[in-house]
Amino acid sequence: MHEMGLMAEMVDLLAESAKEHQVRRIDKVKLIVGKMTNALPDALQMAFDVYKEQELFSPSAVLEIEERETIGHCAECGTTFPVRDNALFICPSCQGLRIDIVSGRELYIENYEGEEETRYDN
Amino acid sequence: MTIKVDLGTPLLARNEEMAEEIRYLAAENQIFIVNIMSSPGAGKTTLLEQALGYLTKELRTAVIEGDIATTRDADRISAHGVEAVQLNTEGACHLDARMVYRAMQKLDLTQVDLLLIENIGNLVCPAEFNLGEDLRLVLLSTTEGNDKVVKYPVMFRDAQMLVINKVDLLPYTDFSREELAGDVAGLNPALEIFYTSARSGEGVENWVKRLVGLVRAKYGVSS
Repeated sequence: MHEMGLMAEMVDLLAESAKEHQVRRIDKVKLIVGKMTNALPDALQMAFDVYKEQELFSPSAVLEIEERETIGHCAECGTTFPVRDNALFICPSCQGLRIDIVSGRELYIENYEGEEETRYDN
Repeated sequence: MTIKVDLGTPLLARNEEMAEEIRYLAAENQIFIVNIMSSPGAGKTTLLEQALGYLTKELRTAVIEGDIATTRDADRISAHGVEAVQLNTEGACHLDARMVYRAMQKLDLTQVDLLLIENIGNLVCPAEFNLGEDLRLVLLSTTEGNDKVVKYPVMFRDAQMLVINKVDLLPYTDFSREELAGDVAGLNPALEIFYTSARSGEGVENWVKRLVGLVRAKYGVSS
């Protein structure tokens, strides 16, 4: 439900960066989304369809979302393992309960591509 | 010409910056902040009303009430003689750090030891937004069922305190304390669990004592 808000943040961050890098129209944005966040890729795509009407984007702009599985790391024995259902933070090797999350919390813009502003330098 | 720009910027970068501002304000004024989250109707406001009697004897307490609409909750808290600021999100499903920062400007922060933030009733979206809090408290009522812990893992993994409310209704529900303890052990073994009834007052004093203890541990006994 908060994906519209997340997308608004994304558009603001992109607008700022595009200005700085003199990008006129954005064609493609790549987002990394961990499974241990509450951001749903489908809802993000729907929100993007609304926001891509803005001039910052080309009409055919796409949002690419790369999902990351939830991976735990056992502080007792060092085993790295996928966390089942995002809820079972128990080491499969030693049954340890002190588990750090090494992946799954990601929610960031990795990169974007766009048309560079035409310059008339000469 | 097409160019590619590498960013690596978190979507919530601006919220994190505001949360940092809140932490700065809190440290400067020695305020302990609690972010209280639950689904709608779990009993957040009623539990606070019960707790304020004990809390205000120990700590100067203020409340930020987050709701989509109305000032009803702030009115309920104010009736106990406690300063309450009502935040209306007008549709938004969570509080963010900017809203809380603005609400804090309406309080005399030099007169506050404990700031309780009652988030919007929702177990999903509020989990994502850092409010610069010292403690994340989730309230779950027995009538919602013990399975909510594993159904909303982000919310319960990031919390430090879990209050199970409406224990007076336990005999009428299938809520299992054992299953809950097992699920918590797998998801967040450090989570502290308290059982309360905001209606009868059962367990409230015990929970408040722990809360006061945490505030004192951070800022000393003088406050």
